[in-house]
Amino acid sequence: MNNARFSAFGRQAGTILVTLIGLLILTFCIGRLMPVDPVRAIVGEEADRATYEMVAERIGANLPLYQQFFKYVSDLLHGDFGVSIRTGQPVINDILHVMPATIELATFAIIVGAGLGIPLGILAAVRRNKPVDHVIRFLTLIGHSMPIFWTGMIGLIVFYAALDLVGGGGRVSDYYIGLVPETTGFLLIDSMLAGDWEVFWDAVNHLLLPASILGYSSMAYITRMTRSFMLDQLNQEYVTTARVKGLSKSRTIWHHAFANIRVQLVTIVALAYGSLLEGAVLIETVFSWPGFGQYITNNMLVGDMNAVMTCVLLVGVIFIGLNLLSDALYKIFDPRTR
Amino acid sequence: MHRMIKALSTILVGSTLLTSPAWAETPPNMLVVGFSMSNILTLDPAAITGKETVQVLANIYDNLVGLDAVNRAQVNPQLAESWSVSPDNTAITFKLRSGATFASGNPVTSADVVWSLKRLLTLNLAQASFLKTHGFTAANAEQSFTAPDETTVVITLPKKVDPEIIVQTLGIVGPGSVLDSKVVMEHDKAGDLGSAWLTNNSAGSGPYTLGQWRSNERVILDRNESYWGEAPGMKRIMMRHLAESQSQRLMLEKGDIDIAYSMSAADLKALEKSDKVEVQTNGGSGFYYLAVSMKDEKFQKPKVREALRYLIDYQGLNDTVLPYFGRLRDRPIQTGLFGALPNAGYKLDVEKAKALLAEAGYPDGFSTTLRAISDAPFMNAATAIQATLAQGGIKAEIITGSGDQIYGAMRERKYELLVGRGGGGQLPHPDSNLRAIVYNPDNADEAKLTNFQGWRTAFYDEKINSMVDAALVETDKAKQVKDYEAIQTYYADVLPAIQPFAEVVDSVGYRADIKGLALNPSWSTRLRTVTKER
Repeated sequence: MNNARFSAFGRQAGTILVTLIGLLILTFCIGRLMPVDPVRAIVGEEADRATYEMVAERIGANLPLYQQFFKYVSDLLHGDFGVSIRTGQPVINDILHVMPATIELATFAIIVGAGLGIPLGILAAVRRNKPVDHVIRFLTLIGHSMPIFWTGMIGLIVFYAALDLVGGGGRVSDYYIGLVPETTGFLLIDSMLAGDWEVFWDAVNHLLLPASILGYSSMAYITRMTRSFMLDQLNQEYVTTARVKGLSKSRTIWHHAFANIRVQLVTIVALAYGSLLEGAVLIETVFSWPGFGQYITNNMLVGDMNAVMTCVLLVGVIFIGLNLLSDALYKIFDPRTR
Repeated sequence: MHRMIKALSTILVGSTLLTSPAWAETPPNMLVVGFSMSNILTLDPAAITGKETVQVLANIYDNLVGLDAVNRAQVNPQLAESWSVSPDNTAITFKLRSGATFASGNPVTSADVVWSLKRLLTLNLAQASFLKTHGFTAANAEQSFTAPDETTVVITLPKKVDPEIIVQTLGIVGPGSVLDSKVVMEHDKAGDLGSAWLTNNSAGSGPYTLGQWRSNERVILDRNESYWGEAPGMKRIMMRHLAESQSQRLMLEKGDIDIAYSMSAADLKALEKSDKVEVQTNGGSGFYYLAVSMKDEKFQKPKVREALRYLIDYQGLNDTVLPYFGRLRDRPIQTGLFGALPNAGYKLDVEKAKALLAEAGYPDGFSTTLRAISDAPFMNAATAIQATLAQGGIKAEIITGSGDQIYGAMRERKYELLVGRGGGGQLPHPDSNLRAIVYNPDNADEAKLTNFQGWRTAFYDEKINSMVDAALVETDKAKQVKDYEAIQTYYADVLPAIQPFAEVVDSVGYRADIKGLALNPSWSTRLRTVTKER
């Protein structure tokens, strides 16, 4: 029994490892096929040949591709994620700095997204083809299909420029920068720890709009999925049976139908959260949010492969982690998987 | 749409009721500057590449001399109070002012100046090329830069060159920045001359010191309280990474930032109407140009190149595409530099161009490609030029891409037509333009002189090379001016591979209550003089 469990664990670990290695190779190939030149980024447009070659040698860009790849992987195995060309800092430090900004944004967004999306999805399914269903579907269609940078820009114009309800770009207003010590990197937590409520509310003020817009877009997705999962259940014979048996409508919906879609919901919410953590580069750009999405994109644009590969690895780990988490939640929600 | 706004506003209004109101404007003793900082890779003066970095370092480091913001050709004293050129024009002697100190408190000595220049050449990074062009190398640095006493720096020229261009070079951010050698060497790591440390630390004597640099987030400059010169107006300068022009505009209108540096023409134009915001435009460096590759046999024919000259709508481009970015210029020397001739006055002349093409053997025109970076204003300029080329019968297919792709193709000499920006001009000396735009000392493919746009276009003309070289060493000023005028006339006749249609200008928007902002060319504005009038 123990042996079987061990080999199951081994298989899973093997799959994860193969996934991560595959991810690295793919990223490396894409990064190197892209017409960007990290050396040119460092030396600039006007540099002469000698300077170019010297820098290429220093950062190892003169080596054959496979050697560059193996060097990265072997450094990685020694726990060295390399130094970013673009920031001059160890990649791991950079990530520890940008990740909290993204986690704050993504967490707030998923709370909005799932908190509104699931009830709305159920409501739409239960009131199928009634006016409320049409309204919800209309809202989600817009949320799903509107380009998010446009929604972001409109949001800024309406709520920041015209109504003055929220802060503009950045995580906090300029005069609050550097006022609270960076203990965790999470501005909301740091300002609470420091007891500086002015900074806290200012940070909330800056977080609201980008997070709500991201939340709206993931709400659209979650609502539509919830609605279709729910409709699937409501059309099953057991629902009719339950109602015929005399079970109340709300009990049928919540205790039977909803219970059956929880597992699916966990999966889509986890995936939605994962893609938010991966970074919402467009929203981060519009709102000058110094997060993970901007970091990875800007590094990609200058061919800073140490940073890009480490970021991709992290994204891989996040998704694997979320998958494991949702597997664990399955076991709670669905007795058959225990 | 309305429903969406309603839904959103319900969420937002509900939650913002809890929050405190935002400030209406930036604090009175802090200047907030917004621009896109994606190109800032390091803050080591020897290694910087872009104008964004120049904008940061111009406020941290002093030079021996400073270039005048208004009169481009004028050089003003900075750390040096005076300088003189030896009678035989082979050496320049700088006398340092007394009492100047670095932010660390160390006095600025001639040893620091010499050390900074040697460091530049030893590291041989991006900024070294400014001195290498004139024969300075790491090997001859020991003889070239000497400090006979604490307040004297002597620069011996390794090869014959107009000493004025060397003085000007020492006035630009990067090659001329003077570093605190003691502080930097305390942070030397494995002989890197402090390069790793200087990536995000500063050791200058300028009006501000580097408080913090967070890549793609912000740069904070703090007032150097012991600044040797007139005290800076602002206690702190906050430079914020704002990638989007639209965001810059909104924040500028709201007063959340004081100066916005990288806005699009559309946003600048919209701001002209605002009474709270002003727009300032100043000369930049280099040109917008149409380049041909002399590797292409069609463009080897002078008549074809001449035809192209008449297939550009100079006035139209400058009226519609280039406001805030460029100013009409069809000569290879920027206006305001000595020797610069007035515009030649080329005009779109389709009939003339057609006749020239027919003479060259292309009565029905030909097909070709036109490369341009996919951003404004390049893309718009390329589209406009594509249209005028078509009038002359030349069907040009536009190929767009990133800077790496477009200039990469040019460096590989694998292109046909290209709309680009460049041509030196960081120094207020005509040589800076000419050397970048037309000079080509060795046309062989193997030479790979990619830093010369002349080489990239494969245009080689021995006479123009020798004229450029001769003008630079001419010591009689009046004669030198004549030389540069003659080069421009010859340039017009010899039909080189690059035809400028505008010179670069920079435009910034700023709050109307900001006083004392004097834009320097090429983003080297010192913000020391800026104050707020409220």
